[in-house]
Amino acid sequence: MSRFFRQLGDSDSDTEESDEELLTSGDEELAPPKQPQKPSKPTGMSQFLRTAGGDSSSDSESSSDEDDSDEDDFGGGGAKSDEEESEDEDVKRTIKSTKDKRLDEIEATGKAIENALKINDWAVTSAEFDKLLRLVQRQSNVAEPIPPFFVKALINLESSLNSALAKEKEAKKKTNAANARALNSMKQKIKKALKEYEKEIHQYQADPDAFEREFTAHTQPAEAVSVKAKKIKKATIDDGGEDELEVDDHFTVVGKGGKAMQFTADAIFKTLKIVNEARGKKNTDRTEQIRILEKLLEVAVTSYQRLRVLLALVSSRFDFNSSIANYMPIELWLAAQREVDQLISIVALDPSYVVQEHTVDYDELLERSPATEPEGIVRIRGSIISFVDRLDDEFTKSLQNIDPHGTEYVDRLKDEKVLYRTICRAQAYYEHSEQAEPLGRVVMRRLEHIYCKPDAVVAALESCLTSSDVQPSVVLTSTSTTSNLVHRLCVHLYKADNSLLRTRAMLSHVYHHALHNDFYTARDMLLMSHLQESIHSADVATQILYNRTVVQLGLCAFRCGLIKEAQATLQDIFATQRVKELLAQGVHQQRYQAQLTPEQERAERSRQLPFHMHINTELLEAAFLVSSMLVEIPLLASIDSEEQKRKMISKPFRRLLDFADRQVFTGPPESTRDHIMQASKALQDGEWEKCRDLVQNIKIWSLMPEAASVKEMLASRIQEQGLRTYLFTYAPYYSTLSLSLLSRSFSLPLRTVTSIISKMIWNEELSASLDQSTDTVIFHRIEHSRPQQLAQLISEKISALVEHNEKTLDSKFGGGGGWGDRGDVKGEKRGEQTQERRGNRTRGALRGTRGRGSRFAQGLGNQMAELSSQRAH
Amino acid sequence: MAEHDLTKTIIPYLDRHLAFPLLAHLVETQLFPVEQVQAAQYELAKGTNMVDYAVNLFEQLYPDQEVPEEFSRKRETAVSTNERLQQEAQAVLDVIENPGVAQALRQDKNQNLTFLKDNYNVTLEQINALYNFGQFQYTYGNYSGAADYLYHFRVLSTDSELNTSAHWGKLASDILTGKWDTALEELNTLRDVVDSRSPSSLLTTPTEPAALAQLHSRTWLVHWSLFVYFNHPQGRTLLLETFLSPTYLNTIQTSCPWILRYITAAAILSRKSAAGGNNSSSRVRYSIREVVKVIQMEEYQYQDPVTSFLKELYVEFDFEAAQRQLSLAERVVTDDFFLGEFRDEFLDNARYLISEAYCRIHQRIDIGYLFLYLVIVWASDELIYRDLSERLNLSRDEGEKWIVNLIRETRMGAEAKIDLEKNVIEIHRTALPVYQTVIEKTRGLAFRTQALGAGMLHSQQAVQSQSQPSIVDGAR
Repeated sequence: MSRFFRQLGDSDSDTEESDEELLTSGDEELAPPKQPQKPSKPTGMSQFLRTAGGDSSSDSESSSDEDDSDEDDFGGGGAKSDEEESEDEDVKRTIKSTKDKRLDEIEATGKAIENALKINDWAVTSAEFDKLLRLVQRQSNVAEPIPPFFVKALINLESSLNSALAKEKEAKKKTNAANARALNSMKQKIKKALKEYEKEIHQYQADPDAFEREFTAHTQPAEAVSVKAKKIKKATIDDGGEDELEVDDHFTVVGKGGKAMQFTADAIFKTLKIVNEARGKKNTDRTEQIRILEKLLEVAVTSYQRLRVLLALVSSRFDFNSSIANYMPIELWLAAQREVDQLISIVALDPSYVVQEHTVDYDELLERSPATEPEGIVRIRGSIISFVDRLDDEFTKSLQNIDPHGTEYVDRLKDEKVLYRTICRAQAYYEHSEQAEPLGRVVMRRLEHIYCKPDAVVAALESCLTSSDVQPSVVLTSTSTTSNLVHRLCVHLYKADNSLLRTRAMLSHVYHHALHNDFYTARDMLLMSHLQESIHSADVATQILYNRTVVQLGLCAFRCGLIKEAQATLQDIFATQRVKELLAQGVHQQRYQAQLTPEQERAERSRQLPFHMHINTELLEAAFLVSSMLVEIPLLASIDSEEQKRKMISKPFRRLLDFADRQVFTGPPESTRDHIMQASKALQDGEWEKCRDLVQNIKIWSLMPEAASVKEMLASRIQEQGLRTYLFTYAPYYSTLSLSLLSRSFSLPLRTVTSIISKMIWNEELSASLDQSTDTVIFHRIEHSRPQQLAQLISEKISALVEHNEKTLDSKFGGGGGWGDRGDVKGEKRGEQTQERRGNRTRGALRGTRGRGSRFAQGLGNQMAELSSQRAH
Repeated sequence: MAEHDLTKTIIPYLDRHLAFPLLAHLVETQLFPVEQVQAAQYELAKGTNMVDYAVNLFEQLYPDQEVPEEFSRKRETAVSTNERLQQEAQAVLDVIENPGVAQALRQDKNQNLTFLKDNYNVTLEQINALYNFGQFQYTYGNYSGAADYLYHFRVLSTDSELNTSAHWGKLASDILTGKWDTALEELNTLRDVVDSRSPSSLLTTPTEPAALAQLHSRTWLVHWSLFVYFNHPQGRTLLLETFLSPTYLNTIQTSCPWILRYITAAAILSRKSAAGGNNSSSRVRYSIREVVKVIQMEEYQYQDPVTSFLKELYVEFDFEAAQRQLSLAERVVTDDFFLGEFRDEFLDNARYLISEAYCRIHQRIDIGYLFLYLVIVWASDELIYRDLSERLNLSRDEGEKWIVNLIRETRMGAEAKIDLEKNVIEIHRTALPVYQTVIEKTRGLAFRTQALGAGMLHSQQAVQSQSQPSIVDGAR
């Protein structure tokens, strides 16, 4: 009972407590039920009630709820959404503007300080002063002038502090310890505060009346509007988004007041410094910062100022979104993109300004121009390339998070154009300023945007460059092709020092070739790069790119009609059964591996490719299965006729086929797999026409650019393989077959039939020969008698037995070590084994060695013997 | 046929002097207008010190023009340089030709150098003079002299770069003088040098990576070696041996696929040694199979009638197409500088290949039909083609003899019989008897089991011998 209440009462806001509670109440179970009243915390009941009343624990994050509830209570009459206020709600029910209330509060605090001073209670003074400072701080946070009252209080306080200190010196040990401590800390605080508000104090001291007048003049007219604006601002922040228009509106309103002085050209650097210092702190209002910087940008006059402000502005935009999981709001992104563009324009058009990551230290508060600098070049700390990188990353991140099937995704994709332009402009800038390292990075970024796209898309992306004021050296002109463009970009990267860039450029280049059906070039490049040997040690992103490249190469082979190559290329990736994961087109499935930690999962998710770059896995599977079918089915047929098991080529295909075989009832095909499985069966039965129709009816082919020609190619391949399968399967039942009949039933030209059969005879796949005079195939099938068959069988079994014995002996005497390493060697060296073993044995006997040397050291025999003999001596 | 001519492709990989024979051959074949070839020859000769030859060519080319002044000047400078260099080199040569010195020289080059320096005051610069003089002789066409000097230089010098250069020079000189045995030796040593070469060598510029330089020198070597391989009596098998080794096959595939023509031709030419020879390596014996594989692989890069012939024959098994290609290939071979001499041999072997493949696939062959195939091959010259019927009668006896030879030579052995009455060849191929397969399979078993037992015993002994070694010794 009590637990129930308590749990109810301890709402989400303090789960830890409720956990604790659970533990303790476990101990209490035997005790008689009592009121859950503990001195340490409020009762469950009352807390529950409070939550229900809409007054949650006064965390700042829940302040939005508070606002809502307040609004309900008071009918939205004005402004009273401050936290302090809600606490004191019961006391002051009068409807007042926030500002007035704040002022009242400041005054009240000032009074309290005065009172405390009178009785010389420094502890209270200190506490009250803290409160006062906080209030005033908030005042300045909302860009309102310091009330003269505060300045007055400050001055009073200082004087009384001084006198108190003086007094203390005279009358030693009069004050108690706590008071003295408070006094000392007050001294520090006052000093700090005085420094902070130095200007205001001076103003005030010069002319207290004027100061006061100015303050009142400011507060009166702005009051009503600013309150409203404040409300709006709160709302927008709560929504998590940002509406530029409203913010701007609000901004100008406040700016009308005395605070506008901050945003003059002279004060830019000071303000910048303040903003920079606030950056990254916990309570910094990022929207506010961005607004300040935007305003600064408007007033910035010189290039130097604009560069400085832009650098700060772009970074603060990127700061806006602190969590890794979310993407940057699109408006912010667009604004940042525009600003990076501006930044590049400035530095590109005026070579006397350079933005570098490493510069000599300079005074941030001073205006600089080419005239004042050595060498006439103004170097500013910052990094454009990192902005470009970040822009690109944020773009990818947003695409990862937006639902790819909605219009939003398409809209977002349209932004790629401007991003691409920014990248190209950055490239142009770096080319101009001859900075090799960032140039390599930016070229890679550019390449990544175009390598996997069809020509039309690349042309569209490139088309936006013509309007740009700065152009990179390599652009797509009407005369050159995209391959040319990619080639030139890649060649640039091949010359780079960075091996990662080289590798990625290579893979992108291969991918591009494969995409353009240039199979041989792509294959040769991939093989000559020798990447397959070192790719295992590369970073994950490169591995993904490698997988993509290999898969695209396989598809390319398929499109070109190179069935065997396609099968072999796609084989590896399908054997893993994790195609999607390996291509970074879907997160991995739990059943194959142990659970991932949340970090790993998040990392994996962040690696996912945006949807528009995906390689269609269904198409991929169709290509793989069809090519497997064309390779595997004739092979399967030949196994029966030759009575010897051959290596199975495509395991995934075999498995699917077995599964399809086991099915009792097969309906009309629905999925791609169904189509291919039924086609395979038709091919096995020699019904090539049915097989062709089934394969051609697969809908997914339409996604291939050259669907018609691919289908045609498949049809002819099916005819040929159908003939082969037919011959393998039915050869035992014929002694002769007319070539013309075969040619008719497979509608192949007689010449092709002859050629195919000749090939099979030559390769000793088919024991037959052609009779030229009658145009027939004569099969030489030899039927073995039963004893002969049995003899063959027994000889096979005996050799298997011997092999097994050897293995057992080895594992018994040889111990576990080393078998795995030698497994592969063993297979190759079968022939030499007997020799070696003999040599090993005699040598071992002669030398009388023991242990490892004497065992069946297959393959490594000699080495092992020598090793062990060395050890023995 | 001009489109299949490889001269233009090959020349960039040859030395200036090595290109002369090729161009001279072009004049003979008349594939290209003579004037153009002569102009090319002249351009080539102009860059050398063979002034007289250049003048000669010039006069041929422009009979009505004065010979330019520069030639006489060039001639003078050449003569004077020759004298100067000869004097420099003579000093060393005098020392070396002294029999006492020749005996004192050892294997160790450094030791030799100090020896020469101590006793005869021969410095490194003087030895380099040998190289310079050799090179100069080469430029004006005195190849044998160049070969001599370069040989001496190589014996003495320690500078690896100049040594490699001297190697190339010596090889070129040997080729041009036609000493094929020495050239072959030279080629082999040069190949070793290239294969084991460190990055610092003749063709390397500092920016080029070592691997690339090696690829370049291999490509050059491949081209130069064609001279040797197609002139040395054993050249064809050696060519197969070299070019089908993985490193050179890779070189050919990457940088010069046209060499495939010569590999193919060599494979066809060495058919006899492939079929019967016991001493040839497996690479040569199965060369045709290898070559067919490579041709298929490189089809997208390079094909000509010679390669297509093998492809049609062994990949497509289209005999008619193979014949067509063969008749084209015949022309190509005739016109080719390297292959020209082997035309008849090439055709003969190609015919054998056709009939062998044909017989292996067919069971009963109409001799007349086979003749038709072969006769078309024989009669590929259009002139002869006209009176085909006459040729047929004539070749009938010839062909019969030929087929008997074929059956005797090829692996078909006793399985093929000629039935003259029906005018057919019958080929009966018997499959491997079951008994034999069983015997094959069980052959090693007894021995393996023995070894197994012995091994078991031995390991037991090994265990025992650790505790009681004396007993084991006694048992043995």
